[in-house]
This record gives sequence, C-alpha cells and structure tokens, in this order.
Amino acid sequence: MFSDDQLNEIIVEAENVPSRVVPEKTPVNSSFSMVSSISDIDMTDSQSFGNPDDKKSKQLLRFSTSLNESFLQTLHRSPGSVGIDTSHENIQGGQKLIASLIPMTSRDRIKAIRSQPRTMEEKRNLKKMVDKEKSKQSHRILEFNCCAQCLNSVSQAYRRSKNSLSELLSYISLWQKTFKVIGGKFGTSVLSYFNFLRWLLKFNIFSFIVTFSFIIIPQFTVPEKNTLQFTGLEFFTGAGYFQDTVMYYGFYTNSTVQHGSSGAPYNMQLAYIFTTGACLIVCFFSLLFSMARYFRNNFINPHIYSRGITKLIFCWDFTVTHERAVKLKQKNLSTEIRENLSEIRQENVKLTLNQQLIHVSAHLAAWVVSTGVAIACCVAVYYLAENNSEFLKNHQNPGAVLLLPFLVSCINLATPRLYSLFRLVERYETPRREVYVLLIRNIFLKISIIGILCYYWLNIVAQAGEECWETLIGQEIYRLLLMDFVFSLADSLLGEFLRRLIGMQFPTSLGLQEFDIARNVLELIYAQTLVWIGTFFCPLLPFIQMITLFIMFYVKNISLMMNFQPPSKAWRASQMMTFFIFLLFFPSFTGVLCTLAITIWRLKPSADCGPFRGLPFFIHSIYSWIDTLSKRPGYLWVVWIYQNLIGSVHFFFILTLIVLIITYLYWQITEGRKIMIRLLHEQIINEGKDKMFLIEKLAKLQDMEKRANTSSFTVERRDVEQTSPLHVREHNAAHDLRFRRSVQEENPKV
Amino acid sequence: MGSHGGLFYRYQDLAPQLVPLDYTSCPDVKVPYELIGSMPELKDNPFRQRIAQVFSDDGDGHMTLDNFLDMFSVMSEMAPRDLKAYYAFKIYDFNDDGYICAWDLEQTVTKLTRGELSAEEVSLVCEKVLGEADGDHDGRLSLEDFQNMILRAPDFLSTFHIRI
Repeated sequence: MFSDDQLNEIIVEAENVPSRVVPEKTPVNSSFSMVSSISDIDMTDSQSFGNPDDKKSKQLLRFSTSLNESFLQTLHRSPGSVGIDTSHENIQGGQKLIASLIPMTSRDRIKAIRSQPRTMEEKRNLKKMVDKEKSKQSHRILEFNCCAQCLNSVSQAYRRSKNSLSELLSYISLWQKTFKVIGGKFGTSVLSYFNFLRWLLKFNIFSFIVTFSFIIIPQFTVPEKNTLQFTGLEFFTGAGYFQDTVMYYGFYTNSTVQHGSSGAPYNMQLAYIFTTGACLIVCFFSLLFSMARYFRNNFINPHIYSRGITKLIFCWDFTVTHERAVKLKQKNLSTEIRENLSEIRQENVKLTLNQQLIHVSAHLAAWVVSTGVAIACCVAVYYLAENNSEFLKNHQNPGAVLLLPFLVSCINLATPRLYSLFRLVERYETPRREVYVLLIRNIFLKISIIGILCYYWLNIVAQAGEECWETLIGQEIYRLLLMDFVFSLADSLLGEFLRRLIGMQFPTSLGLQEFDIARNVLELIYAQTLVWIGTFFCPLLPFIQMITLFIMFYVKNISLMMNFQPPSKAWRASQMMTFFIFLLFFPSFTGVLCTLAITIWRLKPSADCGPFRGLPFFIHSIYSWIDTLSKRPGYLWVVWIYQNLIGSVHFFFILTLIVLIITYLYWQITEGRKIMIRLLHEQIINEGKDKMFLIEKLAKLQDMEKRANTSSFTVERRDVEQTSPLHVREHNAAHDLRFRRSVQEENPKV
Repeated sequence: MGSHGGLFYRYQDLAPQLVPLDYTSCPDVKVPYELIGSMPELKDNPFRQRIAQVFSDDGDGHMTLDNFLDMFSVMSEMAPRDLKAYYAFKIYDFNDDGYICAWDLEQTVTKLTRGELSAEEVSLVCEKVLGEADGDHDGRLSLEDFQNMILRAPDFLSTFHIRI
C-alpha cells in the first residue's frame, strides 16, 4: 500500500543509466535487458515485499547462503591457507547456482539473481553465463523456442508498458519531496501518519470519481429548478440552498433517464445503489489486502520478547538526514538505552502484594472512569439530539443546528486529553501497553458516539415521518464533518502555536511538544467513518473530504515543522500501522456496513424525494430489477445467480463450512511450525555447544602433542605420525569452523 | 523533485570534472570517498564511512558508478529483506572478519550514541546484545544470528533505507 505509490526511482534510473553506459554491443543487450527486466520485475513485484514464500527463491537463498560463506571468506580476506579450498567451494557453489538457475523461467531467474548479494557486475556475468549454458542446451528444440520467444516478447512488452505507466505515476505522485523532508527531520514514525493521510485521500478520490461519473453527471443532465435563496450560511449548515442541489439524496430523480428516443436508458435507482455498493466493495478489498500484507510483514515470532536492546542498536533510522535531527536522535537513543539498562536491572524487583493490589485497583478505577465518561458523553449526545427538534423550533436562528456538532467536537477534543491524564495514576509495565490501552479507550469513545448518532438517525429521524429524512441525515453528517475540520484547524493553527509559545517562555520542563501520532490517526479514522456512512445520503461527501484532507496535510505539515520536535521514544511504526488499519477495518468499516445494511433492508424511503421514492424498502429496487430481468430471455443467468447463490441460505452455509475447515487446517499448520521453530532453535544451541566441546578437545590434543614432541624424539615420532593425519584434518576443521560438514565427519573419529 | 536527474546525474554531479558524461569508453573512474561522504543523504549518517567502504571495490570508500548504483539499489525501498540484512551485517562488521564480535558492537554503539554513554555502559550494552542475539553461544554474531534477529524487527526494512 505504501510502497507501490512510490516508484523505486533507483531501479528505474538504473534502467536509464545503461542507455548512457554503453560499452560494446553484446554486453549492452545483456546488461540493458537484465537491468531493465530487473526493473520490470521490481514493478511487478512491488506488491510482494521480500519473496519469502517463493519456493524457488528459497532454494536459491539456501545456495546463496553457502555461497555467502565462501564469499565471506574470499571477500573478507580471512587469514589462513584456505584459499584453495574456498575457491574450489566457490566454483562448485557457482556451478550449483547456475545449474539451479537454468530450469527456471526467465522471470524467476531474474528475481533470484537480483536477490543475490553480489555487485552488479557479478550479477551481469552470472546472467551471461546462465544464458550461455541455456542456449547450449536448448538449440535443438527450435519450434518450442519460437513459441516461447513469442510469449516472451509479449510479456516483455507488457512489462515495459507497465514500467512506463508506473514511471508516469511517480511523476504525478503527490508530495514526494515533502515526505522526504518530513522523514529526514522526524523519522519514519511521524511519516507514517502522513502516509496514512495520503492513503485515505486515495480512497476518497476513487469514491469521488465513481460517484461523480455514475450518479452526479447523469443527474446534471436532468436538473430540477432550484428555487431557494443562497445565503453564505449554507457552507456551515449545509441546509438552505444546498438542499436542492446534487449534494443531497433528495435531489436525485427516481426516473429512468433517457435522452431522445434512441439514447440508452439509465436507471437512476440502480445506478445509485450499485455505485454506493461498488465504492464500498472496492474499499473493503483494498483494506483487506492492505491489512493482510501488513500483518504478514510484521508478524513477530511470539516466543521471543520484543523489549530487547538489540533492536535499538541495529534499527538505526537511515532515512534521517538533517544534522540537528541526527544529533537529537543520538541523544534520545542514549537516553533510551540507559532506560532499557535500568529496566533490565529493575526487572528482578518483585512487587509486594500491597503494591500489586494498588496497581490493580488503579487500573480498574481508570477503566471504570473512562467507560463512565464515554457513556456519559453518549447519553448527553443522545439527549441533545432528541431534544434538538423542539429546540430548533424555539430558536429561529439558522445557526442553531450547529449546536449538536459543536458538542460532539468538544467531546472529541477534551476526552482524549482527559484519558491521557490517567497516565499519572496508572503504571504500566511497558510503554507499548500504555499506548494500546489509550488507543482502545479513545476508539471506544469515538465509535460509541458514532454508534449512538446512527441509532438516533435510523430509529428516530427516519421513522419520524418527516419529509426527505435522508437529506436531513446527510446534512447532519455534513455539519459534523465540517465542525470536526474547523476544530482540527483551530487545534493545529492556534493550539499548537500557543503550546510552543508557552513552552518557550518556561524553558524548564515543557520544551517543545512531540507529535501525537495515535490521536491524529484516530481523528482521521473518525472522519473517514463519517464519510463512508454519509456517502449514501450525500454523494458529494467524498469530494468535501478530499478537500479537507488536502488542506489538513499542508496545515499539519507547517505546524509540524514549526512547533514540534522529533519523537524521543522509538515508535514501532510498522506494528502501529498494522493496528491502525485493523482498527479502520473492524470497528469502523464493519460498523458502516451494518448501518448501511440496516438502512437498505429495514427502512422505508421517503415518499417524495430521492431515487427510491415510493418504494416500501430500498432493497425493492433490486427486487423489481430482478423481476424485470426474469421476463427477458437473455438475462436469465443473472436471475439464476441471484436466486441460487445470493439469495439462498444453503450456499452460504456450505461456504462458511469450507472457510472454517480451511482456517482450522491453517491453524494446525501454524502450530506445527511454531513447534518446529522451537526445536530448530534448540538444535542451533546444541550445535554451538558441540563446537565448543570440539574446540576444547582440539586444544587438549594439541597440548598433548606439543608435550610429546618436546619430551621425546624417535619413540613418539611414530605416535606423532599416527596422530598427524588426524591432526591435519582437525587443524583444517579448526580453521574452518563454519563448515560443519567436516566437523561432523570428525565426530566419530574423535 | 527539483534535482531529479537520475542516479547517474547525481553521481556525475559529485565530481563533474572527474566523471565523463559519456560512458561508451567504459572509463575506470572512481569518485573519492570525501565527495561521496558529502552527499546530503549521507553526510550526517553516523555510518557513512562504513557504507562507502562496504560498497566500494577495495574497501577504501572510493566508488565507481557500479558501486554507487549498487549502494542505492540495496538501500532502496524495494530491495528484499535478506539482501538488506546481508549488507547491514557487513556494515556493522567493522573489522571485516565475517562476524560481529564485541569490538564491532562497541564501535557501533559508540557511533550511535556519540560518546554520550560511559565506557562501562557501552560494554554492558554489548553484553546484553550478545546475550539476546547470539544463538549458538560462540560470543559473536554470525550472519544467521543477525538475519534471525532482523526477522523479529519488522521496522528494519523501513529504517534501513536511504531516500534519494
């Protein structure tokens, strides 16, 4: 998801380079085609991050590790007379590698060569050798070759076109340079928030394009007169003039649009429901695949704890490039290392029963209070929403409709900060657990507020018998989103600047603030949930959200550069992103699906407005469509699919059963693999112990030999001669401890 | 993307009088380490010298065009995890003996913390690292130990990355 936006400029430019780096004829073709097909492969493989599941590349990696060993020997110029042995090993390993590369398809071969840890020149030579060997072997099978060549050239042309398309996309790719600056100053963790924002922006752009082409443009061709007055207040309330525009559901016609007698008929009802459905389905699959990919890349082996110090040392962020940021990062790293060391020292301190009780009661109290606060907020929102209609009748001011969104935004602003205060009372074992608990509380608050509002809308507003209740809901959602946007802007532009000024005045403890990634990402998720719910009632909402996100990006960027310092703690960006996408999917998207499902199946559309006017339920548009199709002989297969697959219980029952069986099998495989990992880990430790044992034995034998040599002459010479072949072999083993084969051969002899 | 001129132009910009625009004669040109180390992407990196040494032909930090391309190809976003782990291992192996021993770790920690930690803290850290990551208990990290450790650090792929 994040990597396929950014084209790998290096690989593409590596393709551009050979057009200048033009030695002779034949190497040109091989290097150009290899490098360009490497770049082609990179384009097609941009989805798969490393290729760990590819069996062939796994085999090759095994070969490559044996080559690694010989490589390490030759490259690192290890002392000792192992030159001949390793070059022999090298040649053998190289031949094995070439032999394994020949039967592969050219695509797999290039992938395998690319993952070899060699310089470009060596890779070119390797490919040359493999091509030579292959041409030697296959010049007999001419006809087959011809066919394969055709397919090869077709696939190559396809890859080239994909390559140029993605190169074009990279030029259009938004904000590439800004990302580089943000990453350079603040690191990968803060960058992940902006990446998430850009990803959500893409969702909205797609939704907007789809709704614009299929719903809004057809509606523009059959406009109705708009008799209302336009005042400036409509931008805030969404009511008034906007009520009779394409913005809301109520404006859309329910007729079949047809221009002239020969034009194709365009059924607005079906278009409306199918467009909304298509947007949601595409979002669903996109979320699912992103979540799966993130989960696969970031799944950590559970039996190894992750609090260790090793990750701090070896995962230095190479993307940070500004001098001040690097110095700050080094200082923060030292602080973290010191904390880690003291944690390890304190780990052995056991808490007394009293202290444990205090901790548990503090946690319990915090949870009770946070849940209570969330429920209180929900009750307040519901009460205000219920009494809103009388309140509006009493107060004629058109701005009074903004009271409810104002209250909701205030709750969203104040309560997360209240939750952060609980940190003073509660003590957590790891900072990560603290972050997760905070996130869960905030999510619970936001989702329950949206939930209570949906309940109110679907149960009260929709069934109150008002005219055009869908438009009313659309307006409510628009106002909520707008108020949320205004509050975020105010928070960024005013709040963060004020915080910086305060921090500068009292330089003692406050200092500059750090970017709270979790809170900002939750705000994005909240807004996106509202947009997904609202698209059915207000088709222009993705467009509004697009503009909102665009402005938010620049505002947050400027505020970040001016008011914030880089984060002091190492933030596990990739795990967090997995969690956020999971959050986006589960409470948020499934909630949206439930709401829309209830709307479409259970609610009665309003009688006078919108594309579904007059129908008993929204879903009846589909039923009547199926009815009309069943009268036409050419479309009976659609009716069959509808009746037997979508509408039948047996099909879903069998499908569920199959999915459960497959899940169970995969779960068992995972358990088996965990056991195997544990056993292999133990085997590694045992081999290490064997190695130590053999080294000690060797040392003892060498000692004995030395003493034997110095003490006597001819009598022990025979003994020495007897032991010397053994000794020479063991000597080689001592030099080449990495070649366990030879060591294991010595085992029975020693 | 103002300075977007391709990797070759970036290389050529480092030493315009040394690197010819026309590579048809396959010139044997090496840009000295001082110029490589002054690139904006590398100049503040604590490991820039090791990076240049690992990717250069003779281990001295002077890089040909091939070395330059290699370096940015491995440090790009698309390089597979095993390739990155291999080169990261070579970078952290300061004495080039094929293992990360305690001395290598001390050098790494010193470069990372810029002298903020005391000597005994540094040695304590090295002990802890060896205790956590050394799988076969031989007192030093082999490539397999390193790769195994990298598997448990999913952030590695995004942090071992230079944007160009």
